[in-house]
Amino acid sequence: MADKKFRYNVRDHAAEYWERSPKWRRVCLSISFIAFFYALPFLNNPLINTPGSDFQSVLFYPVGMYVLMAIGLNIVVGKSGLLDLGYVAFFAIGAYTMAILGTHTGLNFWEILPIGIALAMFSGALLGTPTLRLRGDYLAIVTLGFGEIVRIVAVNIEAIGGPRGIAGIPTPPDFFNAKFTILDPKPYYWVLLTFTLLIVWMVRRMAARRPGRAWDAIRQDDDVAQLMGVNTLKYKVWAFVLGAAVAGAGGVLYASQILSIVPDQFNLNVSILILACVVFGGIGNLWGVILGATLLAFTPERIRFLSQPRILVFGIALVVMMNLRPDGILPKKKREHFDPNWHTVEESGEGEIK
Amino acid sequence: MSEKLLELKNVTMKFGGVTALNEVNLHVNKGEIAALIGPNGAGKTTVFNVVTGVYKPTSGEVNFVGQSVVGKKRYQVTKIGIARTFQNIRLFGESTALENVVTGADVHSKSGVIGSIFGTPRSRREEKAALERGMELLAFMGLKHRAGQLGKNLPYGDQRRLEIARALATNPQLLLLDEPAAGFNPAEKVALAATIRKIRDAGYTVLLIEHDMSLIMDISDRVAVLDFGQKIADDVPKVVQNDPRVIEAYLGAPADAS
Repeated sequence: MADKKFRYNVRDHAAEYWERSPKWRRVCLSISFIAFFYALPFLNNPLINTPGSDFQSVLFYPVGMYVLMAIGLNIVVGKSGLLDLGYVAFFAIGAYTMAILGTHTGLNFWEILPIGIALAMFSGALLGTPTLRLRGDYLAIVTLGFGEIVRIVAVNIEAIGGPRGIAGIPTPPDFFNAKFTILDPKPYYWVLLTFTLLIVWMVRRMAARRPGRAWDAIRQDDDVAQLMGVNTLKYKVWAFVLGAAVAGAGGVLYASQILSIVPDQFNLNVSILILACVVFGGIGNLWGVILGATLLAFTPERIRFLSQPRILVFGIALVVMMNLRPDGILPKKKREHFDPNWHTVEESGEGEIK
Repeated sequence: MSEKLLELKNVTMKFGGVTALNEVNLHVNKGEIAALIGPNGAGKTTVFNVVTGVYKPTSGEVNFVGQSVVGKKRYQVTKIGIARTFQNIRLFGESTALENVVTGADVHSKSGVIGSIFGTPRSRREEKAALERGMELLAFMGLKHRAGQLGKNLPYGDQRRLEIARALATNPQLLLLDEPAAGFNPAEKVALAATIRKIRDAGYTVLLIEHDMSLIMDISDRVAVLDFGQKIADDVPKVVQNDPRVIEAYLGAPADAS
C-alpha cells in the first residue's frame, strides 16, 4: 500500500486531467496559470521570498532568465540529443548586440531585439552546419570551444571594451505606462515572461508536429532517422538555430536591464549551470526543465542567509537529488495512449493500401 | 514487364582487406518480389547498405530508375523511392507506433520548422495527411490497436511488422526487407507471405533477404544467391533450388564431386 502511494504519478495524472478537460476548463486553467506568473512580483510572501536579495530582481535574474535559457537549451539537448556545452555564447552574442548597438546607434531595445536574435541564429547556423556532422562527445568539445572563443574574442577586442566590457547600455523605452529603470525589475520580468510564454507555445507546437518527430528520431537513432528520410543535418541545425534564438533574445533583454556587461559574465559556468537546469529538471521534458531551472536559480537566493556555505548546501542538494531521481524531477517519459477507436483488432493484411 | 527498377553493375565493396561484395551484378524488375539468399556472411545486408547509401561501393554502379544512387545522401535515397527494414529491429523505441510510421510518412511533407510554428495551411494539411497515411498503414499491417503504444513495448512480431509499416510510409517504389520473418512461427510466416504479396499487388516492388527457404520459394518471382560476396545464381526459384553450386554453398560439396 505504501509502495503504491509512492508510485502515485503526479505528472501522468495531471496530464490525464488536462486531456480529459473540456475546452473551457483548459482556457480557465491556462489563464489563471498565466495570471499567477504575471502577478508573481507582488506575491512577496515569506514562503517564497528571498531574504538577502530583492525578490523582484531575483524573479528576473536569475530565475526567469534561467528558465528561458533552459527552455532554449532543451530544444538542443533534450529534444534532439545534441550536447551543447557552449550555449552561453549565444546569450553573449545577444547581450553584446544590445550593448554595442545601444551605445553606438540610436536604435532602441525593440529595434535591436530582432537584430540580436538574428545574429544569434546566424552564429548558430554558422557553428552548426560544419560541426553537427560530429556526434556525441566530439560535438560537446567543439561547442565548449565555441563558447570560450566568443568570450575570449570579447576580452581581446578593445573596440568593444575588452575585459572592461561595455557600460551605459540604454534601457528600453517606456511601454505604455511601464517604465524600464534599473530600480524596477518588474517590467523586465513581464517582458521576459511574455518571451517565455511565446517560446513555450512555439516549442509545444513544433514538438507535436514534423520537427518534433524528426528530433525524436534523430535522438534515438541517427542512422535510422536518415534512412527513414529525415534530413538529419537540417533538423539538427534548426535545433541549434532555435536554441540560439532563445538565448539571443535573453541576452538582449539581460543587457538592457543590467546596463553594463563584461565578458567574464559569459563564462563556461553559465553554460554548465543551464545544462544542469535541463538535466536536473528532466531532460527533454518542457515542464520539468522549467521547474528545474526555477529551483536551481531560486534555491541559492533563498538560502542566501547561509552566506558562504550556501554553495556547499546547494551542491549537496544537487547530488542528493540526482541520486533520488536520476532522470530529473519530471523525467521525459511518453505516456501510452489508448484510443477506443483503435481497438478494432484486425488480422494482418485486413486493411487496404495504396 | 522486365523494366529494371534497380540495377547493380559490377559492384565491389571492400572493408580494408575484406571483400564483402565482389563484382556483383544484380537487378530488380518493377513489380516483382525478388529474393536475395546466401549463407551467413555472404554479403546480403551489404547489398542493402550499398543500395540505401549507407556504404559507398568501392567500385561499380548502383542505378535506380535510371539515376545513380552512389554518393547520394541516405535521406535522398529514401526520397527517390527506396525504403528498408533492418535485420536487427531498429524502431524508435521511445516513440509510439503511430509516430514511428508518421516519421516515415513525413518524407513527402514540404513544410518544416517554420510551417509548424505558425501552423500554415500547408503544414496542417500535410500533418493530417501524414497521420492518416500512418493509421492506414498500421491498419494494413494489423497494428491499428497498437497505435498509441511505444515501439519498445510492442511484442516482437509487431515490432517487425511495424518496421515494414514505417518503411512503406515513405511510399517507396522499392521495398527492401531484411529478414522479415526472422523469429516468426510457421503461422506468422504464412501471414507475412500473404502481406508481402499484397504489398506487391498494391504496386510496390519488393527485394527481400530471407533464410526461410519455404517462404522464399513460395513468394519470390526470382532468387539471387550470394556466396562469399559473389553472385552464384540468379533465376526463378525452381531452377535455383536445383542448382548444384547453390546446394554446394549451403551444404558443402558432395563427397563424390571431387
